Amino acid sequence: MALFRLQGSRVLAVDLSGDAVKAKNGAMVAYDGKMTFKRLTGGGDGLRGIVTRRITGESMTVMEVRGHGVCWFADRASEVNLVRLTGEKLYVEASNLLCTEATLRTGTTFTGLRGASEGHGLFTTTVEGTGQAALVSDGPAVVLRVSPQFPLQVDPGAYVAHTGNLRQHFQSGVNWRTFAGEASGEAFQIRFEGDGLVYVQPSERTTVGGQV
Amino acid sequence: MSAAMGGPVVLDPYTLPSDDNVNPYAFSVDLNGEWFLQRGKMVAYYGRIDFHGLGHGPLDRLISVNFHSPLHAADWVVAQGQGKMLLADRAFDINSYDLADGNLTIRSGNLLAFQPGLSLKQSIIPGFLTLIGTGKFVAASNGAVVFVEPPVRVDPQALVGWADCPSPCHHYDHAYLRGVLGGVRMLTGLGGVSGEEHQFEFVGAGQVLLQSSERLMDDIDTGVVPRQPGVPAGQPHSGL
Repeated sequence: MALFRLQGSRVLAVDLSGDAVKAKNGAMVAYDGKMTFKRLTGGGDGLRGIVTRRITGESMTVMEVRGHGVCWFADRASEVNLVRLTGEKLYVEASNLLCTEATLRTGTTFTGLRGASEGHGLFTTTVEGTGQAALVSDGPAVVLRVSPQFPLQVDPGAYVAHTGNLRQHFQSGVNWRTFAGEASGEAFQIRFEGDGLVYVQPSERTTVGGQV
Repeated sequence: MSAAMGGPVVLDPYTLPSDDNVNPYAFSVDLNGEWFLQRGKMVAYYGRIDFHGLGHGPLDRLISVNFHSPLHAADWVVAQGQGKMLLADRAFDINSYDLADGNLTIRSGNLLAFQPGLSLKQSIIPGFLTLIGTGKFVAASNGAVVFVEPPVRVDPQALVGWADCPSPCHHYDHAYLRGVLGGVRMLTGLGGVSGEEHQFEFVGAGQVLLQSSERLMDDIDTGVVPRQPGVPAGQPHSGL
């Protein structure tokens, strides 16, 4: 079974003993042992994946790394965050997903307006099953718990991923003052309700909604 | 999350720190009333918080008391309500500081948020803002902030701000660039210049804040000062 561990906060080390992981294409920085790297088309989800990813624009170039030894992954010195999944679903932007165990299934799902406001398109990547996944974020991600009595509002540009049973909807503080040139710059938020965890990065991507 | 694997710390409104850092890059504000923040620096919040642009509205009085550089008011918002709010800025280091009836001048791009007990003014020095009063403010820097006591000379790009110091001035250290050969050296770079000939000098009682890198944060427009003679950076009217 592949073992994920962090080496520093920006490099992921994976111990492999004959099994495989799926990783962002080109994210390997070093390896020790015997490894094979195979480019997977369509995010490694087979023909259906190729078609959905092409249609949805949630493209993900993934390679399968198989072998014996240690493989190190990193992506533009971004912070790496480990997530252990035990049957639940992780929703993450394809660009923030660094590596997943081969036992985890990846797919795409419709996110609605949130995706559009982030400039990521209307779809997001899901990771499902039991095993570990590694996310990258600009700055170490802060993990915030959402519970029924504590809904959470997140700036679309700072959202990285979430797990659990969460409903999300777009919240807008746009009023007549926004159009009178007195925009607050915080007019759009994603509101999460339900039970789950949200990963937020201490940095904001430039988003369409962020300027309003 | 598996604790054995050093899984991440999960935070909720009770475990989020109150007016303190969550990690070096994120700051949690325990909002109960108002805070001023730079546009777009809020990353997430719990509770009921409204964000108001500065301008005409219910917060007119607050703004007129705390805000004295109306020309860049568009870069600031007021967060009003109750809850916990996370602030962050492009994964830069974030620190909070307390002022007790004090003053602090800071590079405009570094200031992130402040409590209404403080009032924000344009500094006479272009590109800098001054906070006066009592309260907490949050600033971002490229790398950790170092406090130094004057007398000190600092690199212009490393300067974040200063508190209570009366004399920020320029200092040139290029004695070796004098004379004919030195002149050639300065103009052509032959023989090399160190790139450190120009510094800012501080003397007097106070504190100087430095960041541990020489990469500047983007400046935020501090607004234009009145075009009057004697006002630095405000060009005198022609014909005077």
